[in-house]
Amino acid sequence: MTTAQTTKPLLQVAKISHSFGGLHVLRGVDFGVSAGSITGLIGPNGAGKSTLFNIISGFLTPQHGSVQFDGRDITRDPVQTRARAGLVRTFQTPKVFAKLSVRENLMLGCYRHLSSGVGGNMLRSRRSRLEIEQMQAQAAETGERFGLGDVMERPAGQVPAGRQRIVELARGCVTAPRLLMLDEPSSGLNTTEIEQLRELLRQLNSEGITIVLVSHDMRLVDVASRVHVLCFGSIIASGAMEQIKRDERVREAYLGI
Amino acid sequence: MSPVRHAIVWSVALALWVALPFVATRHVVDLLVFAGLYTIAGLGVAFLLGQCGIVSLAQSVFYGIGAYCAAWFCVQKGLPSPVGMAAGIVLSTSIAALVGWPILRLSGYFLALATLALGIIGQVLFLEWDGITGGTLGIGGIPRIAPFGFAFDTPLRFYFLVWPIALLLLALHHNLLHSRNGLALRAMRDSPEAAAVLGVDIHRLKVQMFVLSAALGSLAGGLFAHYVTFVSVDSFAIDRSISFLLLAVLGGVYTVWGPALGALFITILPQWLSRLGDIHAFVFAAALIAAVILLPEGFGGAIRNWWRARAAK
Repeated sequence: MTTAQTTKPLLQVAKISHSFGGLHVLRGVDFGVSAGSITGLIGPNGAGKSTLFNIISGFLTPQHGSVQFDGRDITRDPVQTRARAGLVRTFQTPKVFAKLSVRENLMLGCYRHLSSGVGGNMLRSRRSRLEIEQMQAQAAETGERFGLGDVMERPAGQVPAGRQRIVELARGCVTAPRLLMLDEPSSGLNTTEIEQLRELLRQLNSEGITIVLVSHDMRLVDVASRVHVLCFGSIIASGAMEQIKRDERVREAYLGI
Repeated sequence: MSPVRHAIVWSVALALWVALPFVATRHVVDLLVFAGLYTIAGLGVAFLLGQCGIVSLAQSVFYGIGAYCAAWFCVQKGLPSPVGMAAGIVLSTSIAALVGWPILRLSGYFLALATLALGIIGQVLFLEWDGITGGTLGIGGIPRIAPFGFAFDTPLRFYFLVWPIALLLLALHHNLLHSRNGLALRAMRDSPEAAAVLGVDIHRLKVQMFVLSAALGSLAGGLFAHYVTFVSVDSFAIDRSISFLLLAVLGGVYTVWGPALGALFITILPQWLSRLGDIHAFVFAAALIAAVILLPEGFGGAIRNWWRARAAK
C-alpha cells in the first residue's frame, strides 16, 4: 500500500460549502483521501458529516465547491454514475432490499460490472444466464466470508438490525469498490463485533479498497491512518489519531476532555 | 414437487387449455379471447405497478394506437397486418419514451395524474383526428390476420392465436424478473437510494419499463382490431385504462401470471352474473370489493402464498 499512498488523492473535496435555509452546514471544507488509505471523519452531532457524505456520494449537489474522484470532476454526476466509477457508500440506517433475500442483495453488488439489457434478459440470452451464475458465485463467496451463510435465503428485512448492517457492507464489497464510504458502520454492534469489523476493514484495505469512515466510535476510528475532525461545518484538525487526541481544540470541541 | 408430478400438472393444464374452447360455447370462447387480449395489455400495467410502483392510466392510449395503426395501415394503405401492428408498436414505444422521460421524474400520485392526463389527451385526439381514426364512426372492414391463407376468423381460431402470445409474453416477463435488471427493479422498489448506490440508473430503467408496457398495450390493441374488424373511439376511452389497472390489481401485481387471472375475472364474471338480471352490476361490484379487501395481493398473490405455506409444511 505504501506505493499507492504516495500517489495523488483518489478523492479530493475542495471548498465545499452548503447551507439549508439560513443554516450553514458546511463552510469551505477541503480534504483529500489518498488511494489505499483508511480515512476517518469524526465530529459531534450536527457537524455536517452526513451532509458531506451525501455530497460526496451524489445525493446532494453542493452550493459551492467541487468533488473530484480519480482526477475527474464528479460534483454534478448522479449517484449511479459515481457508483459505476467505483464510489460506493453505506447508510447510517442500513438500507437493505427488505423483500429480497440476503443472497439477492449480495448478487446485486455485481450490477455495476455487468451489462446485459432488458431485451437479452427477457430472452434469457447467453450473457444473461452467465451473469446470473457470476452473481450467484460472488454472492455465495462474499456471504461466506462475512458469516452470512445461515441467512442467505431469508428476506433481508427479516434479518436482525445488526446483521443488516453486515449485509449492506458485504453488498458494498461485492461491488469491488475503489472507494468505500461507511456511515457509522459500528452503531448497534457490540465490542466483539466492533473488533471483528476493525479486522475486516483492515483486510479489505489490504486488498486495495480505499475506505472513508464516519464514526463516533473511537474504538473503530483507531483503524484509520488519517482522521479529519469536522466541527460546525469546518475541518478543525487533521492527522493521525494520536495527534488528534492531543489537539487542544479537538479536546474542547469534541472529545470533551 | 418431483419432476414427474411437475410434468403431469403441466400436461393436465395444457390438455384443459386445448379442450376448453371446444366444450365452451362460442360466446364464452369470445370472452376468453378478450381475456387473452386484456392479459397482454394488463401485464404491462401490472409489471409497472408491481415492479416499479408506477400507476399507469395511459394504457388505453397505447391500446388505441395499436388498434388504429392496424386499422389504418390495412384498410387505408392495404398493407399486410404485421406492418400495421409493427407500426403501432414503433409509434407507441416512441411516444412512451418521449413522454415517459419527463413524467417518470415524478412519483406516486403526481405520476399517476400525469399518466391520467396522457390517457385523456389520447381519448380526445382519437375523437378529434377523425381523418385518421374515423372519430365516432370508427374504421370498419379491418381484414383478419391470415398468415399463409389461414384466417384467424372465428373466436376458436383466435383463441389459439392470442393465448400462446399472451403466455409467451408472461414467460418473457418471468425471465426478466429473474435476471440482472429484474433484480434491480425489485431492489429499487425496496430502496431506490441503495439501488442507485450499486449503479442502477433508476430513471432509465423506469423509462424502459414504461416503453415495454406501451409495446404490450399496442400489441394487444393491434390484435383486438384484427379480431373485431371494427374500431371506434369508444374502445379506447379512459375507462379502458381503468379496466387494465383493475385487472392488474385483482390478479396481483407481484406475480407475473396474476394479470391472466385478473383478465379472466373481469371478462367472464360480469357476463356470467348477467343472468341474475338487473342486480348483476351490484353483485359484480360487491365481488370486486370483496376480492380487493380479502386478497390484498390479488389472486396471484393469494395462490402463491397458499402454495408456499403448503410447501413449508
